[in-house]
This record gives sequence, C-alpha cells and structure tokens, in this order.
Amino acid sequence: MSELKRTLFYERHVEAGATMVDFGGWEMPIQYPDGIVTEHLATRSGCGLFDVSHMGRFRITGNDAKAFLQHVLTSNVSALDLNQAQYAIIPNENGGAIDDAYLYRFVEDAYILVVNAANAEKDWAHLSREIKAFDAQMENKSEAVALLSLQGPKSKQILSDMAEGAFLTEPVKNALGTVKLCGKTVHIAKTGYTGEPVGYEIFALREDGVFIWDELVKRGAKPIGLGARDTLRMEAGLPLYGHELGLDKDGNEIPIFAISLARFAVSFAEEKKGMIGRAPLERQFAASSRILNRDFSDLRKLPRRVRPIALTGRGVLRAGFPVYKEGKEIGYVTSGTMIPRYVVENQGSLLETFTDQKAMRSIGLALLDSDILTDDAVEVDIRGSKISAVVPAWHLRGDAPPYARPIVVDGPEEPKEKPSADLPASALNLLKKAADNHAWRQEQCINLIPSEMTASRAVRLLSGSDPSFRYAEHKRTASFYDHEVFYYQGTKFIDEVERALVAELVKYFHCTEVEARVISGQMSNVTVFSALMDYKNRLDRKHTPKRLGYILNNHIIKGGHLSAQPMGALHDYVAVDPTTERSAVVNFPVLRENLFKIDVEETKKVIERYRPEFIIFGKSMVLHKEPVREIRQFVDEMKIPTTIMYDMAHVLGLVGPHFQMPFEEGAEIVTGSTHKTFFGPQRGVIAVNYKEDELKYDLWKTIQTRAFPGAVSNHHLGTVVGLLMAAYEMNAFGDEYQKNVIANAKSFARSLKAAGLDVAGDPAISYTETHQVIVKTGYGTGPEVAERLEENNVIVNYQATPEEEGFTASGALRLGVSEMTRFGFGEKEFEQLANLIADCVLRNKPIASEVAKLRAGYTTLGYCFSDEAVNNALDALGTTSGM
Amino acid sequence: MTLQNDRKYTSSHEWLLDLGNGSYRVGLSDFAQNALGDIVFIDLPQPGDKITAEASLGDVESVKAVSEVLSPVSGTVTATNEALSSAPESINADPYGAWLVEVNDVTGFAELMEASAYEAFCANA
Repeated sequence: MSELKRTLFYERHVEAGATMVDFGGWEMPIQYPDGIVTEHLATRSGCGLFDVSHMGRFRITGNDAKAFLQHVLTSNVSALDLNQAQYAIIPNENGGAIDDAYLYRFVEDAYILVVNAANAEKDWAHLSREIKAFDAQMENKSEAVALLSLQGPKSKQILSDMAEGAFLTEPVKNALGTVKLCGKTVHIAKTGYTGEPVGYEIFALREDGVFIWDELVKRGAKPIGLGARDTLRMEAGLPLYGHELGLDKDGNEIPIFAISLARFAVSFAEEKKGMIGRAPLERQFAASSRILNRDFSDLRKLPRRVRPIALTGRGVLRAGFPVYKEGKEIGYVTSGTMIPRYVVENQGSLLETFTDQKAMRSIGLALLDSDILTDDAVEVDIRGSKISAVVPAWHLRGDAPPYARPIVVDGPEEPKEKPSADLPASALNLLKKAADNHAWRQEQCINLIPSEMTASRAVRLLSGSDPSFRYAEHKRTASFYDHEVFYYQGTKFIDEVERALVAELVKYFHCTEVEARVISGQMSNVTVFSALMDYKNRLDRKHTPKRLGYILNNHIIKGGHLSAQPMGALHDYVAVDPTTERSAVVNFPVLRENLFKIDVEETKKVIERYRPEFIIFGKSMVLHKEPVREIRQFVDEMKIPTTIMYDMAHVLGLVGPHFQMPFEEGAEIVTGSTHKTFFGPQRGVIAVNYKEDELKYDLWKTIQTRAFPGAVSNHHLGTVVGLLMAAYEMNAFGDEYQKNVIANAKSFARSLKAAGLDVAGDPAISYTETHQVIVKTGYGTGPEVAERLEENNVIVNYQATPEEEGFTASGALRLGVSEMTRFGFGEKEFEQLANLIADCVLRNKPIASEVAKLRAGYTTLGYCFSDEAVNNALDALGTTSGM
Repeated sequence: MTLQNDRKYTSSHEWLLDLGNGSYRVGLSDFAQNALGDIVFIDLPQPGDKITAEASLGDVESVKAVSEVLSPVSGTVTATNEALSSAPESINADPYGAWLVEVNDVTGFAELMEASAYEAFCANA
C-alpha cells in the first residue's frame, strides 16, 4: 500500500491529540480527544472547524468552460451567477454517479469544482478525458489551495471578527465572497456539509492555511474530525458517495434520482442537451415524478429511493442492516449510527433554547422501495432481531437560522382548540377579553409597530355602521358611456361615498385615477400583477398567457415587501427564465456602505442587462426614499419599455413634499394599504397616472376589471365609508402629521443612539427619512428582545437586517413613530421612551409601569376632526347605529 | 491509560474483579473505552442467563462501530448494571466503576493477566 497523504494541517491534528486514520488515501483525524458526541454538539450549538483539504479542487477555465461543465455535471451552470455556488453530481452514461461535487464561481471566468477525496483521481481521469472535446482547461489546485470548513451558529461572528466587520457574503445559502481574514485574502462560500444554515467554506492560499486555522481556533472554533462530520451530514440527510450514491451493497448502480437532492441538482435545460447520461436521467426523472404523485405502477427506472430512517426500538442502526415492512424486505440501511442532540426548552416555538442536557437517537438513511411513504412503520434487522423503526420526513431542519434544529419522531403537536361546550359563557368571555385587550392596547401599551395605526372614532364608527353588511357590485359599461352600473338596489349612499373617496384620493396622490375597492394592500398588488399580465397578452387571446419577466424588485432580505416577491403576491404572475430555470426576478442592488439604500448606478447596470418589463419600488423595512426619479429618467433615456410601480404600503400616509411625490417623480402605478401610516381602516388602494388618450389607459381599465370582478365581489362597504373619513382627515391634517412623523422618527433615532442602542442607517440623515427606525440588538436576539419589550408594554417587530438570514435569525427591532405621533408624542416623549427601551434592552430592567404611566398621558388621537359639532354627530351616529 | 491492580484483564480488554463469596464483576478496561470512543449503546444479558468464558456476553456500541464483549468467566449472571442502559457514556467516564454484570456459580475462566502484564500487552497492541 502506498504511503498515506497528509494535508497541511496534519501537525495541528497530531498536536491536538487527534486519532488519525486512513480516509481515501489520506491520514485524517477521525476525532479529537473530546470525542464525536461532543464535537457533533459543539458544531450544532457553536462553531466546528473541519480540515477538508483532502478534497479535490479543480479549476476550470477557457472559452468553453461552461459548455464543458454543462456536459459533465448534472446542474445548470447557466444559473450560476458570479459569487454563487451550486451542488452538482458527476453523472455516468447510465444515470449513476461518478461522484458528487460542489461548483463555485468566485471570479467571472473561472470555476472551482470540489470533489470527494476518495474519488479525486477517478474524477480527474474522467474529466480529463471529457475536456478534450472542449476549448477549456482544467488545473488541479488541490495542493495550492487550503480548504477549511467552518460550521455552526457562531461561525459568522468568528469570521466577521477576523474580517474586522467587512461584508462576508449575502446572507443566503451558496453565496460567495472574497474578504481579508486577519490580513490574508481568502474566498469564502456560504456552503457546508452539516445542514447548518450558517456555515462557511474557506479557500485560502496554502501558505496562509495554518495561520488562518490557528486564528479560528483562538476565537473559539472547535476542530472536528471525520467521525462527527459523518454524523452531522447523516442527521442533515445529506448523501455520502459510497453509501447513498455510487454502487449499492449488491454492486448495482444507484440511480441519481434515488437521492431527493437530485430534483434540484439535475437540470434538463436546453443548454444541457449533451449532458452525459441525459436520457437515463430523464427516465429517472419521469419515474421520480410518478412516484411523488403516488403512482407506483412502474418502479423499474427508480426501484428504491434514499429515505431518512429513525429507530423507535432499542439499538443502533448500522449501514447494511436489512429493512422490512410487514415481513417483506424493502431495502437496507445505507448510513446509520447513534446521534446526539441537545434537549431544548420551549420546543416548537420561536423562543426555543438549548439546555445543557443531551439526548441520543439512532437515525440514518436507507435505500428503500420507492412505494414506501413518509411515516411508514418498518422494522430493521439488527443481528437477527427485528427492531421497530419509522421513515420520517426528515431528521433535521435548517430553515430557521441561525442553527439547524433536530426534528424528533415524537415531537410536540400543535394544541388544537375544542369547540365551546357553553356558548353563552364563551360569548361573555370573548366580550370581556376583547374589552381587556382594547384597554391594554389603547391605554397602557406603546405601539411602535410601523405598519399599524389606530383609526379615529369617526373612522371606526363609520366602518361598523350600515352599509357594512351590504353589497354594491358595480362596473363601467361602454353602452352607458362608461358610467358605473350597480347590480344591487339600496346603493345610492355608497355610490356617493365611493365617488367622493376617489376624488379625495386623486387629490391626495396627485394622479388621474384611483381604484379603492381592493380590500388589502396584498390584493392591490395581486390585482395590478394580474392586470399587467392580461395587458401583456391582450393582442393574443389564442394562447396560454405569458407571465411577466423580468421584474426588478427589492429583495425580501433587503427590506422588500412580501407582496412583491415570487413567494408572495407575484407567485402566479412571474415567469421562469428558461436559461437559469429560476423566477425571472432581479433585485435592486444596494450600497455596500448602507445596505438599506438602493445603489442607483448599479441598478442602471442591472436594468441594461435584464431590461425588466416591470419595476417595483417599495419596502417594508424602509429608511430611505426610493430613487423613482433617477430610474424613470434612466429608462426613458435608454428607451427601455417598462412599467414603474411604487408599492407604498408602509409609507402611503407620507405621500407629499416631506417624503415623496411618487407620480411627480415618474411612477405610473402606486399601490398601498390604507392603515399603516395612512389613517384608514384595513383596506388597499391602487392609484395610476394614465391619461385617457394614452395607450396605457387600457392598462388602467384592466386594473379595474381585475379588481371587480377579478378580486372582489363584496368590497366591504363599511370600511369604504371609514376610508372616506380617513381621506378627509389626511387631506386636512396630513401636512402637519407627515412633518411631525419624520421629525419624530429622526429625533427618536438620535435618542435611541444617545441611550446606547445600536441604531442602523446613516447618521448623517439622523438614520431615517421615514417613520421607521431600525435598532440592532445582536444576531439572533430579535425575537427574545421583542418578547421582553411586549412583557413591558412596548410592542415592536423583530426584524432581520440585510446581513441576516431571515426572521428567526433576526438581530434587530423595527420601530415606527406614526401611531404615537398621532397620540401626541413629540421629541421629548420619544426621548423618554428611548431611555426606557434602552433600560429594558441593554440592562434587562422592568419598565412596564413606567411605560404605562407615560402612555396614560397620551390617549387622545389627534390629526382628526374633533370640534363640538363633529362630536355631537358622532354621538348621534353611535346611538343610531347601536354602537 | 489507567489501570487498577485489584482486578485481572483479558486480551480482549475486559476486566474481572473478585467480590469474594464466589461473586465477580465484569467491565471494560480504560484502553477499551478509549479505543471505542463515545459509547452510545450497550446490550447486556439478564440475571439468570448463563455466560461462557471467551464467548460473547453482549454488545457495546460507539458512534463509529459495534463491538462484542467477550466474557472473562463462565457462570450465571446475578445482576446487570441497569444504569448503563440510559447512560452508557459512564463507561467512558469511569471504566472501572461502570461495571457491566455480576456473576456467580463460576465454572471457568478465560486466560487472564495481572495489571502489569496487561499494561505490557497494551503497549504492544
């Protein structure tokens, strides 16, 4: 046997007392003295450091580099943008795997392919043969480049410290970046093999490798051996070549689609016509689709699939053990052992925390007959004894960062409410609780949720009185000179109200037309998207309509609103780009030095490249004006046909000279909800600025028909009346309100900063140009801090910043001043509040009674009509309507 | 590696401790627990079961692998260390305290070494 190879970290492993073993021809640490169980748990709760320099690293360049990779990998390399990575499988002609791999694109014109150590020579030989037909080159960089993996919830902080706070990568899986760690330039990838949502792989120069290793260890990263690397990947359900990929225990090829990742990792895009193994892979894909539809009539192309398996009886799963169901052998365990997890408190909730206690479970993966369903009870033959087991959906979930959470087979179930046994008592109880809640929210609590507002007594009374139980469908009809025709009687009052409402809103927005029947902001957007798609297809009604694309919007992580995302209201209207096989959406780039602000110059480049047919401004985490004027000017100069919409949901009540005048700046459509900074009940609104002689006036007409009969039949008439009152209030008091809201937000931000809190944004503009202030509380602490504030009578949102992975990892609070401004708070009151919040957040002091005391002096809503005549009329309306 | 002079050892790394009155305790040596790594599961005979010297007494499993425990003695099991079923890792923490079984009615022994001989044996292992 040839001598074992050693990585550049060999000395470090030996010094640390690691047990060294032969792994694929490399002398590698299987474990350090603390052992596999401790190493596994340290990665899940802290930060594990893995030497992965034994893996093969091939650099591919040349004119045909992409074409070569499209040929030898299963993934769609055209979907790989600069600074992204993707999982791929190296297929053979039979649709089996030669290896699995990860492909990285750190620079425009070179790709790095990382392959398994044990397969590196085989892969190199295969790829070297295939590359001959292409104008492309492949270099083996395995020696020159050190490769480390840093995994677990604390890995980000450790890297961030070494990078002195420099931007690492976008906070999404598979994002790449190039940074200096303690002065050494490295490539980093947000990838890993542990299932942890926060984890990185580090590509460093060989000569810098040991220095970086030492610096990571100094900061608390714990070296982890191959033993825990295996238990971590097994718990995450990730395949290992030789177990779940390659040959099965009888020496037969495992089809690539036997692993569930194949549905993401295999592409049949047009550019992959020549992919090795394409025809058998297409047959496997068809079989996989049938199986997922529970059609088990023909399993020949995919007889078995890799599934998670969890032992419920006593024992330990091991690779090779046969699995039975009702006496019939249905497959075997491909990987298995006993795996530790931390016992958690508040299991199944956002406030879940680790305890010191650990528990063990025997879990693994198994290649099982394709007709086995999730939650099927099975048995595993452990040295002659049949031990009960189950096929769970998964062992671990990584979708609630900053750490992966074990999912146990007997986890907590959602409690289900039973119907009432005593209805009169329940009715009484509901009334009492509602009264208590109203009193708490209106008299003791300080509400800083920026998307909420208390409506005036007039708005509330009108929203509940007749016609709130009525119908008033109406539609423009060409035969009647485009007049609105009502389908119901008894609608003269609401007809008059709606006409007045449109007139007030047209005046407020400085636009030509308003549709106010939509009953939410989300519905406003869906209505516009549906109308745009219909308008796009209006000249061809004989084919299935084409969806919209490209669309330019704000990414949700950068504060983009859910109602303009492909997973939100855009879902049914956005096309898939056939080249990348992803939603045809691109995002506004943001400034590196201020992630809350759109980078106009970079946006222009994105617009030139993608020529988006639809541009959606607007955010839910919003500190700045949107650059509507600059982008309008640019698309006009470049003659790019597009539609510019501004989703003003959060800032609808700020339309005006103190903030933004969207139509003056060049927006064509404004949507929004009427209850955030605006004064209304909870509804939506669509405003456009098309004139009757314009071509796009037809888009406006389509918007109306998509509103009714498209989106609503009953448009909730009570709140229409309430909204008219809110529009009167806004047009009467809006100027003063808007000026005070923005001044209060700026001074509140300054006070929070002065009180010692970490306020996000640009200090040069007092952090905000809107009603919102963002306060950073520390990575992952947002939910806990928000809950603590609620217990102390301050209601806020926890908020993920643009550097964080999502709401569960959020390390910030989103505060809004609009509602308390309406209750009379000024700079002095917000300063008092800032000091109380700092006491609670920074020093964990109880502030509930002081907050209630502060609030008690400000319970009368302002910026609404309150003279004697109005109050008398309100009393009369209350009496008449029985409210 | 630690050793205890009050007991004898097998070449398969079990120990046997004479409790007097014809009773013996069986356990795993420090060398064994260290080689196995984190012990996560143990399967032991029940009181009343007959066991035979140099034959399997049960299984001990670590994260990495399963190993048989070979009995250093032939006889009848009188007690099993039940605490190990929920805390098998105590063998790692305290190999000479965390016994596996107690045996009496002893009819024979495996080949056994004194601590010093076992130490030399391990040094060459």
